[in-house]
Amino acid sequence: MDPEQVDEFVMGYLKKKGFNSAAKQLQEALHHNNGGTFNSTDYHNDPELTKLIRSFSQSENDPTRYRDGYSKLRSWAYNSLDLYKHELLRVMYPVFIHCYMDLVGKGHTQEARSFFNSFRRDHEMIHLRDLQKLEGVLVPSHLEEMEFARSLRQSKVNIKICQYSYDLLLQYLHRTESTLMLGIINEHINFQVYSGQPNSSSDDIDAVTIVGSFQETADHVNQKEIQWGLLEDSLEDRLEKTGSLLSDSEKGQGESKDGDIDDSKKRSNEIGKQGSSLKKLKKDKAGNATAKVARQETSIVSPAPRVKPELALPVMSTDVEESILEDLRNRVQLSSVAMPSVSFYTFVNTHNGLNCASISHDGSLVAGGFSDSSIKVWDMAKIGQAGSGALQGESDTNDQNVGPNGRRNYTLLLGHSGPVYSATFSPPGDFVLSSSADTTIRLWSTQLNANLVCYKGHNYPVWDVQFSPFGHYFASCSHDRTARIWSMDRVQPLRIMAGHLSDVDCVQWHPNCNYIATGSSDKTVRLWDVQTGECVRIFIGHRSMVLSLAMSPDGRYMASGDEDGTIMMWDLSTARCITPLMGHNSCVWSLSYSGEGSLLASGSADCTVKLWDVTSSTKLTKAEEKNGNSNRLRSLRTFPTKSTPVHALRFSRRNLLFAAGALAKPAS
Amino acid sequence: MGIVPKETIEVTAQSIGITNLSPEAALMLAPDVEYRVREIMQEAIKCMRHSKRTTLTASDVDGALNLRNLEPSYGFASGGPFRFRKAIGHQDLFYTDDREVDFKDVIEAPLPKAPLNTEVVCHWLAIEGVQPAIPENAPLEVIRAPAENKIYEQKDVPLIDVRLPVKHVLSRELQLYFQKIAELTMSKSSPALFKKALVSLASDSGLHPLVPYFTNFIADEVSRGLNDFLLLFNLMHVVRSLLQNPHIHIEPYLHQLMPSIVTCLVSRKLGNRFADNHWELRDFTANLVGLICKRFGNAYITLQSRLTKTLVNALLDPKKALTQHYGAIQGLSALGHNVVRVLILSNLEPYLTLLEPELDAEKQKNQMKSYEAWRVYGALLRAAGLCIHDRLKIFPNLPSPSPSFLHKGKGKIISAEPRKRKLSADSSENQSPHKRLMITTDGLRPEDHTGPAPMHVDKPMGNYNPPQNSVQPSSSEQASDGNESESRNGKEKERGKGRSITMKAILGQIWKDDLDSGRLLVKLHQLYGDRILPFSPSTEMSVFL
Repeated sequence: MDPEQVDEFVMGYLKKKGFNSAAKQLQEALHHNNGGTFNSTDYHNDPELTKLIRSFSQSENDPTRYRDGYSKLRSWAYNSLDLYKHELLRVMYPVFIHCYMDLVGKGHTQEARSFFNSFRRDHEMIHLRDLQKLEGVLVPSHLEEMEFARSLRQSKVNIKICQYSYDLLLQYLHRTESTLMLGIINEHINFQVYSGQPNSSSDDIDAVTIVGSFQETADHVNQKEIQWGLLEDSLEDRLEKTGSLLSDSEKGQGESKDGDIDDSKKRSNEIGKQGSSLKKLKKDKAGNATAKVARQETSIVSPAPRVKPELALPVMSTDVEESILEDLRNRVQLSSVAMPSVSFYTFVNTHNGLNCASISHDGSLVAGGFSDSSIKVWDMAKIGQAGSGALQGESDTNDQNVGPNGRRNYTLLLGHSGPVYSATFSPPGDFVLSSSADTTIRLWSTQLNANLVCYKGHNYPVWDVQFSPFGHYFASCSHDRTARIWSMDRVQPLRIMAGHLSDVDCVQWHPNCNYIATGSSDKTVRLWDVQTGECVRIFIGHRSMVLSLAMSPDGRYMASGDEDGTIMMWDLSTARCITPLMGHNSCVWSLSYSGEGSLLASGSADCTVKLWDVTSSTKLTKAEEKNGNSNRLRSLRTFPTKSTPVHALRFSRRNLLFAAGALAKPAS
Repeated sequence: MGIVPKETIEVTAQSIGITNLSPEAALMLAPDVEYRVREIMQEAIKCMRHSKRTTLTASDVDGALNLRNLEPSYGFASGGPFRFRKAIGHQDLFYTDDREVDFKDVIEAPLPKAPLNTEVVCHWLAIEGVQPAIPENAPLEVIRAPAENKIYEQKDVPLIDVRLPVKHVLSRELQLYFQKIAELTMSKSSPALFKKALVSLASDSGLHPLVPYFTNFIADEVSRGLNDFLLLFNLMHVVRSLLQNPHIHIEPYLHQLMPSIVTCLVSRKLGNRFADNHWELRDFTANLVGLICKRFGNAYITLQSRLTKTLVNALLDPKKALTQHYGAIQGLSALGHNVVRVLILSNLEPYLTLLEPELDAEKQKNQMKSYEAWRVYGALLRAAGLCIHDRLKIFPNLPSPSPSFLHKGKGKIISAEPRKRKLSADSSENQSPHKRLMITTDGLRPEDHTGPAPMHVDKPMGNYNPPQNSVQPSSSEQASDGNESESRNGKEKERGKGRSITMKAILGQIWKDDLDSGRLLVKLHQLYGDRILPFSPSTEMSVFL
C-alpha cells in the first residue's frame, strides 16, 4: 500500500471525526518530513492496521452499507442449520430496527424507507404494531421526539442464545468483517448466553425482550413480595367454615327462611323473563350439596393464604351479606364438564354509539356508555316482567321511564360532556360509576337516577374505572399514563400510580383489595400496591395494547387480553406467564373468571365468547416445571354470536355467565 | 418517497394562502407531515379501541386531535364513505368531492325517520354449555362444522348430547360431481360426454345426497329455460337417469319433480325455434310420466289421479293449444289403457268433431296449425289403437292357461285343433280370401255365427279395404265365439272338476269385457275408419289360425 495514500486516509479520518488540530499537526508533520525520512513504518507497513484504517476511512455515510450488511446477515441466518436458526433469527429484528433508525438518524430518508420496505415483511408477523409506529419516523428529529424510538435507541435488547449459536454469529461477523453489523449488535444487543443445546421452542416469550434496561427494573420490581392471598374473614371463608353448620340449618329450613325469600326475590331479578332459568336454578340448588363438597376439596388442595386488608373496608349490611352468602351457597360448581349457562344481552339500534357495557353483579342491571356522552341503564328484571305480560300496567313507578314519545324502558343518565368509555356497578348495584373523554368520573345512583358526584383529577380521557370488590373504593386509569385510586366520599384521588410508559387502558382490582392491576398501551401489565402506591409487579409479554384484565377469585392468577386476541395467564407471585391462550382473532374486550376460578370466559370483537379451562393449565404448569415442555390452555367452548362483538362479561355469584354487546350490522 | 408527496404540501399551502413556499421547504415538510399524521392516526386507533370498535371513524380522529389539543376536523361527520377524486394532471393528488347543496332543498326535505331507540334484548347464548338452536344464535354448525368437530375430538370429556339443527354437509367430491353434471346439462356442447354422465347418474351409487339439489336444479332450469329446447330435453334425460338409478330413493322428491315434468309435457311452447322437435320431447316426457306412475303409483295413490286430472283438464279445454292437447294425449296414453279408455275414448267423439275443421286442409289455411292438428289426430289414433290392441290381446292369453290346467280335457282340445285346421284348410280351398278369413276365425262354431255376421259383412262393403276390414269385426265375433267354445270346454271340465266354476265366472267376466271391447272397436271404427285397423292385433289371431 502506498504510504501517502495511507496518510491521506488518516487525514480524512481525523478531519471527519473533528480532530482538526490533530489533523493539522499531522499535516505539518507530513510537510515537515516530506522526504520520507520519518519513520512511519509503524503503521504504514502493518497490513492489518492499514486494513482497519481503510475500513474506517471508507465513506462512512454510505447508506448502502446498511442494506448490504443486513441482507448478508439475513441470508446467512436463514441458511443456517435449523437447530440454531430460530435463535439466530432473533438477532435479526433488533438489527433491522437499529439499521433503520441509523439510516434515518443520518438523514437518508429515501434509503431508510426502501430498506424498511424491503425487509419489513420478515418481522411483520410478530412486531407489526412496532413497525407501524416506526414507519412514520423519517427525519432525525422524529427519533428524538418519538418516545418509542428513543427508548429503543437508549436501551439494549436482551436475547437468550445458546453458546454455539453465539459462537456461530461471532465467527460469521468476524469472517465477513461486517463491522457495521458487529457494531450494531454490540451496541444494542445484550446476549444472555447459556450453555447446552438451543432451546427447542421457537416462540419462547421472554427470549427476546426489547426494552432491556426496563427489563432490569422489571426484574428488580418483581423481586418484591406480594400477599396475593384472600382476605381473612371473607364471606367465602366464612361460608366454608360454617359450611356444615349452614347445610344443617338448610335441612331444617330454620334460619334461612327469610334468606330464601330474599333469594327468590333476587332470583327473579336475576333471571328476568327467562322462565326456563328458574328450572335451571332449582337444579343448581339440587347440585349444591355436591358442589360444596367439591369446593371444600379444592380449598384443601390449594389453601390460599389469608391476608389482612390494608384499606379500611366498608362495613357490609347484614342483609347484603346474607344475600351474598345465599348466592354463594347456591353457586353452580363449574368445571370442564359442567359448563355455565350464558345469558346474552344484546344492544340493538345503538347506531355504532355503544362504547362500553357493564353488568351488575347479579345480572339484573345493564348499563351502556355511549359516544353521545349518555349512559343508559336497563333494569332487566323490569323488562322481563313487562315482556311476560302487561301485569303491572297500573304501577306508577314505570312512569318516569316512559318517555314523551311512548315507551322507553331504560334510565337515561346525562351529565358527561364526552364519549363515555367505561361504566361499573358497585357490588350491590346501587351505584354506577362512569368515566368519560371529558376527563371526569361521575357517580350515579341507580335508585335516584341522578348524578351524585363528579370526580375531577385526570387530565386526559379516563379510559377505565372499576369499583373495588367491596365497593366504596374505585380505581381509574387514563390517557395521562396514570392510574388513580379514589374513594366515593372524596373528590380528590387517594393514590396516583405513575410508571406506565403509555396510556393505561384498563384497570382491575385484586380480590383482596390490596392491589390493582393495570394494562397499558406499552404492552405491559403492572400490579400496584394500593396502600403504598408502588409498582410491585411488571408483566412483560404482550405484543400489543392490553385491553382487558381479570383476577382469579383465589387471587393467585391474573388473565390479560390484548388487541391481537391473545390472552395471557399470569402467576402473580412469579410474574411469569403460565401460558398464552390463542384462539381469538380480534381484540379481547372482556375477561371474567368463574366464581370458583375453574373457568375463564373471554369476549372478543370477533363476535365470540370463549370458555377456557383454567384448572388444567395450572395443574399442568406443575407438570410442566418437571417436564420442561410448554403446554397450551384448553379452549373448552366457543359460542359465536350472530353478529355481536362481546363488550362485557360477568359471572354472577351463582356462576351464571352474563354477556353483553351491541349488535353490529354485518358489513354489506 | 413517503406517503405524503411534495405536491400535496404545495397544494395545501396554496389553499391556505401561502404562495411562495419553496420546493425545498415542501420537501422538508412532507416527511414531517406524514409523521404527524401517523401519530394522530395511532391516537385515533386508541380512541377506536376504547370505543370498542374495529373500524376507524372520523369521530375517532376528532378524539385523537382533541387529545393533542388540536382543533377537530369539521365536515367529516361519520356517514357514508368519502369520495376522493384524483386531481387532473397530478398522479398522487386527491381531493374530496364536495357537492353543493341547495339550502332550499335541505329545508324543504321531509324530516327523516327518527332513529329507533336503543334497546336491550336478552337471549340464551348457551344453556349449560350448549348453544340452543334459536334464531338469536348464529347457526354455527353450518358455518364452522369442521372446527366444532375438531373441538369435540380434542375433548376427552363425554359428549353432552348436542341438539344440532338438521345439517346437510355435502362432500367436496359430491359438490364437484353436481357441478359437473349441471354444467354438462347446461352446456349442450358435448353430447357424448352428457350421455356418459347420464349413464353414471343412472347407475352410480352414493348419489342420494345430491337428489334434493338435482330436483331443485331441474325445477329451476325448467322454469327458466322453457325456450331452450335442448336444455329441457337434457333435463328430462337427467330425470330419467335419476329414476333409473336403483340406489336413489327418489320418492320424497317426486312432488318437486312432477311439476317440471308435466310442464315439459303440456306446456304451450317448448323451445323457440321452428326446428325444435318438441313433439319428440313430449313423447319422451310422456314415457317418463308413465314410468313414474308405474313405479310409484302404488305408493302414492294420489299421484296418478292428480296427474290425470291435470292432463284431462289440458285436453278438454278447447282454448288450450293443440300442442298442449297433444302432450296431454300422449301423457294419458302413457298412463295405461284403462286411462285411455275411460278418459280419452269417452271423450273421443266430441273431441274429434272439434278437431275436424282443423284437419280439413281447405278450411285450415295455416299449414302449421293443420300440421299440429294432424299430429293430435295421430296421437289420438295411436292412443285408441293401442288401447284396442291391448283389449284384444287379453283374449288370446286366455286359452293358454287352460291347456295346462285341464289335463283331462286335453284330448278334447287337441282334437278340436286339428279340426279347426282342417276346416280352415277346407274353406281356404273353396272360398274367397275374404270369406275364408271369416270362416277361419269362426271356424270353431260356424252354426253360432248368426246375428252379428250380416252387420260385419255390411261394413266391409262400405270400406276401402274390405279384406282387412273384415278381419276386425270378425275378431270381435271370434272373441265371443271363442269364448263360447271355451265355455263349452269349461263345462266339460266342470264335470270333471268342480273348481273350474270359479274359473268360469272369471272367464265370463272377461268375455263380457271383450264384448265391450268389441263394441268399442266398432265405435272406433266408425270414428276412424280404416286407420284403426293396423292396431288390431294380428298376432293373436295366429293363435287361432
